[in-house]
Amino acid sequence: MRYVKSIGLNSNQQIGRGFNHPYDIAFSNNERIYVLNRMYPQSTDGIRVQICDLEDEWYGEFGHGPGDTNDQFMVPVCIDFNSEERLFITDESHHQIKIFDRDGNFLEAWGKGTSKLKDLNSPSGICFDSTGNVLVAQQFNGNVIKVSAEGKALLQFGESGTTQGKLNLPWGICVDDQDNVYVADWRNDRIQKFDREGGFLGTFGESGRGEGQLSRPSSVAVARDGRVIVADWGNERVQIFDKGGRFESILQGQATLSKWALEWLDVNKDELNARQTSDLEIKNLPAHLNTPYHRASQTEHIFWGPVSVKIDDRQRLYVTEHSRHRIQIYELD
Amino acid sequence: MGNTDRKLAAHLARRAGFGATQDELDFYESFNYKDLVNHFLDSHSVNHVSDDLIYRRHPNIHAQLTHNPMYWAYRMLTTNSPMQEKIALFWHGIFATAEPKINNFGAINNQINMFRDKGLSKFDEILIELSKDPAMIVWLDNQTNHKNEINENYGREILELFSMGVGNYTEQDVKECARAFTGWTIGNSEYMALMGAKDSIWPYGRIFWHFEYDEKDHDNGVKTFLGETGRFNGEDVIRIICKQEATAQFVARHLYNYFVADEVPVPQWGHVPPKDPSAIDYLVEAYRQSEYSIRETLRVLFNSEFFKQARFTRVKSPAEFIINTLRCTGDYQVIDGSDNTVYQIMEDSGFMGQKLTNPPSVEGWHTGEEWITSGSLVDRVNFVTKYITDENNPGVGNMIARVADRITDKTTPDQFLEICISVLGELDLSDETYDALMTVVEHTLSVEGSFTSSTASLVTKVFQIVSSSKEFQLC
Repeated sequence: MRYVKSIGLNSNQQIGRGFNHPYDIAFSNNERIYVLNRMYPQSTDGIRVQICDLEDEWYGEFGHGPGDTNDQFMVPVCIDFNSEERLFITDESHHQIKIFDRDGNFLEAWGKGTSKLKDLNSPSGICFDSTGNVLVAQQFNGNVIKVSAEGKALLQFGESGTTQGKLNLPWGICVDDQDNVYVADWRNDRIQKFDREGGFLGTFGESGRGEGQLSRPSSVAVARDGRVIVADWGNERVQIFDKGGRFESILQGQATLSKWALEWLDVNKDELNARQTSDLEIKNLPAHLNTPYHRASQTEHIFWGPVSVKIDDRQRLYVTEHSRHRIQIYELD
Repeated sequence: MGNTDRKLAAHLARRAGFGATQDELDFYESFNYKDLVNHFLDSHSVNHVSDDLIYRRHPNIHAQLTHNPMYWAYRMLTTNSPMQEKIALFWHGIFATAEPKINNFGAINNQINMFRDKGLSKFDEILIELSKDPAMIVWLDNQTNHKNEINENYGREILELFSMGVGNYTEQDVKECARAFTGWTIGNSEYMALMGAKDSIWPYGRIFWHFEYDEKDHDNGVKTFLGETGRFNGEDVIRIICKQEATAQFVARHLYNYFVADEVPVPQWGHVPPKDPSAIDYLVEAYRQSEYSIRETLRVLFNSEFFKQARFTRVKSPAEFIINTLRCTGDYQVIDGSDNTVYQIMEDSGFMGQKLTNPPSVEGWHTGEEWITSGSLVDRVNFVTKYITDENNPGVGNMIARVADRITDKTTPDQFLEICISVLGELDLSDETYDALMTVVEHTLSVEGSFTSSTASLVTKVFQIVSSSKEFQLC
């Protein structure tokens, strides 16, 4: 897996270029990247979707929060385009899915307070199968619902629990080319696989920090060759499994300075100079800080808060890090 | 079989924790008192709302990008081992480190975690951890304390504010102490300190700090410190500090001030004797006998008669007041990503005079009656009234149910009040407060005929009056 580049720069502003706790991304057909920003409590006005591309161009933003109007968010979680270029965004607090066109114009909402999917509860991950149906993970229900493109509930599977087929606060979700469904079973530290009708097919991963073990996986993606990429969020890393769920490798992160970061440092020479004389490769930490979280918090280039994994149609892997405010991009072999 | 008096158990819970609910007091009563003290001090299975849930709902807390005491608040609100949080608050007030200078909230958070983990261990171990703590190093500029050019800031404060107090060492001791701590710095100190000074979050957010010992920058020359001579490093200096009589007195008086009864503010300790000199002597002896163990000194303190008698002799700090109230009412036990009220609550603590992780100076906060001003008292009363009178809060509902279970049509006003006061935390009320409550209760009885018809509204009215009283500010 070859590292390509990083996109992003931290920003504490409520408008403009730069990310603040990016949580998920989506790709439009015109090769633009839509980045969902969560912001922070003192500055929730900055909750928004920003639009950029792989060449670091920044095109604008929409959807400021927090609020209850159509184009506002409260706690947005996941984002994805369907084949019709409709952008779906889940909001766990509104208990809604909000749908926009790719210019950021609000189209409709499903869920609480709307005429469709009125019982939607704490939606998190969202994706689409090959026929255009929508699959949504409901955290607190511990299940997945399949919905038609028009917003009609078709199927529901899974329930809260810890045994096989049950889900505990599920987060990310994706499908493979057979429309099998993969769910990041967050609090059970595993990935669960279901067929297109919701039948349980298998599970892999277990609690831990070793190879193949997971800590609170938040996102899952399946490559064209069947490999399964998992955002091993609690372990601050990404893991790659083969199509049978067997461990293949670990991606720890190797970010470099993005174009935006370089531009920022270019006008802040004091920090650039101090940075150039620093050794930001942390080698040894005291025992009480030798945890994935603390290593990541002190080592800028590795993943910190790798919350989302997405693969574009050229089989490039995008890892979004909410605590480094950037996206690391890799080419899948 | 246990036999701890409920009022004594409530007293211990207020001091070693943030008060107790009725369910918790039921549990505490099952211990004998000595075992209950051990339960607070030796708790091995710490349980609180887990970090993963906090981070999932609030990624900003994961990244520690901005001032955010929400994490500490969630820990204090949900822990089953409140002593761990209480000792962290205790040391935070003494080893006061403030965010605005260092601008690295992860480093502050790690310092508080260090207080949780090490706060009950031996004082020399605590001082060593403190001297290696990155937030403290930058707070007192020890990253600029070099072999060939000392910065005596940390060397002075560890003697003046963190161990012995003014008048117990010389200026030469300060310099020698500073020399011993040369080379005690943080990794990439120039870049990290620059980011802190500029409050820079660029390009990719905060980089937390870690301790680094730079042997090349350490002055390994001979030093004479507090009468001893040698090639002292920081650990040696701390060993010498901890065996001083002044240090034992310092630790004992701080423990007394925080866990037994309010003393005058620390700056007056040099000329105002302790409130109870024999108690200080008793604690000094425990400190020495245990080879400087804070846990063992506190075990002696909590089992002492002077502690058992010292009920309602401390003014609750704002943080204690808020957490005590919310644990009592059962609020904010579940993490909600859309709800930033806990953040605002900790801002309220600041308005009441104690903004956690932002003490006013390296001296920390002045405690005791200095917590109370006309403005802060209004803030306190407004805060507690908002929560304690809301019947929908689970803790309030539970307390009302407890009262309802214990009253009948024949319950007298005296009995009714006793039950309410007991349920609200086994309080001691002044005659003045009691008389005011009695007027309300008797009026209700005259109108309603009994207490059983409108129990909830009357109980919350009593709670409101009690929580607005002077006595409720005490613990």
